[in-house]
Amino acid sequence: MTKAWSCWLLGIAACAVFASAQPVSPSTDGALLPRDSVEAAEFRGSVVFGQYCVTCHGINADGKGRAARLYNPRPANLRLSDKNDEYIGLIVRIGGAAMARSEFMPPWSAELTEEQMRDVVVYVRSINVSNTSENNR
Amino acid sequence: MIRSDRYLTGLGALILVVAASVYAAQEHAVIQKGKAFSVKRLNVKIGDSVKFVNEDPYTHNVFSLSDAKSFDLGSHGQGVSRTVSFDKAGTIEVECAVHPEMRMIVEVSK
Repeated sequence: MTKAWSCWLLGIAACAVFASAQPVSPSTDGALLPRDSVEAAEFRGSVVFGQYCVTCHGINADGKGRAARLYNPRPANLRLSDKNDEYIGLIVRIGGAAMARSEFMPPWSAELTEEQMRDVVVYVRSINVSNTSENNR
Repeated sequence: MIRSDRYLTGLGALILVVAASVYAAQEHAVIQKGKAFSVKRLNVKIGDSVKFVNEDPYTHNVFSLSDAKSFDLGSHGQGVSRTVSFDKAGTIEVECAVHPEMRMIVEVSK
């Protein structure tokens, strides 16, 4: 047997051993995330946020969106917000003016579905780096 | 000679008055309906204003970040109108904060 053939056979054997040592990958049939999981809600919420909220709140949710310079006070830094989920959900739903805050925060209830509004709250909670105690849940 | 000068001065003043009255600032109307502006492009003159009228059953929020004119008319519901005037020439891209697909251009000229 030539040296080249020996190398080929050795390589194939090594690949076979390596492949057999790998864990079985999870099935990719169907959805990877259950629809009602927090992770799925976070993902959907990030999509909603990216489409509707980034103009003011910014892609990093730090209140530095491209339109932020129009407002005083500036849009909220959602990463540092100390508001609980109920409050955030309400301001998303009925807008800033109805909560004695900025009139430039629109009411989203006519534009977003109930699920979208819930999802965006879950997403905002997931990126919040302030005190995430049980009160915030 | 003096009489002639007075005549010319008076005539000049009359021409100025007529010229000023020929172009008075105008108000243009843009309707928001079906999540769209009624026009994609609007040509106006410096000093003109544009009234944005919401004929949709939900809220709009018209704003612009253009250098020639930055503004935000705030959230306004059905039947409500908001007006903005333009005091500088340029191309102004107008958007809706609630509906990112809504866009139009206001071209302001001298």
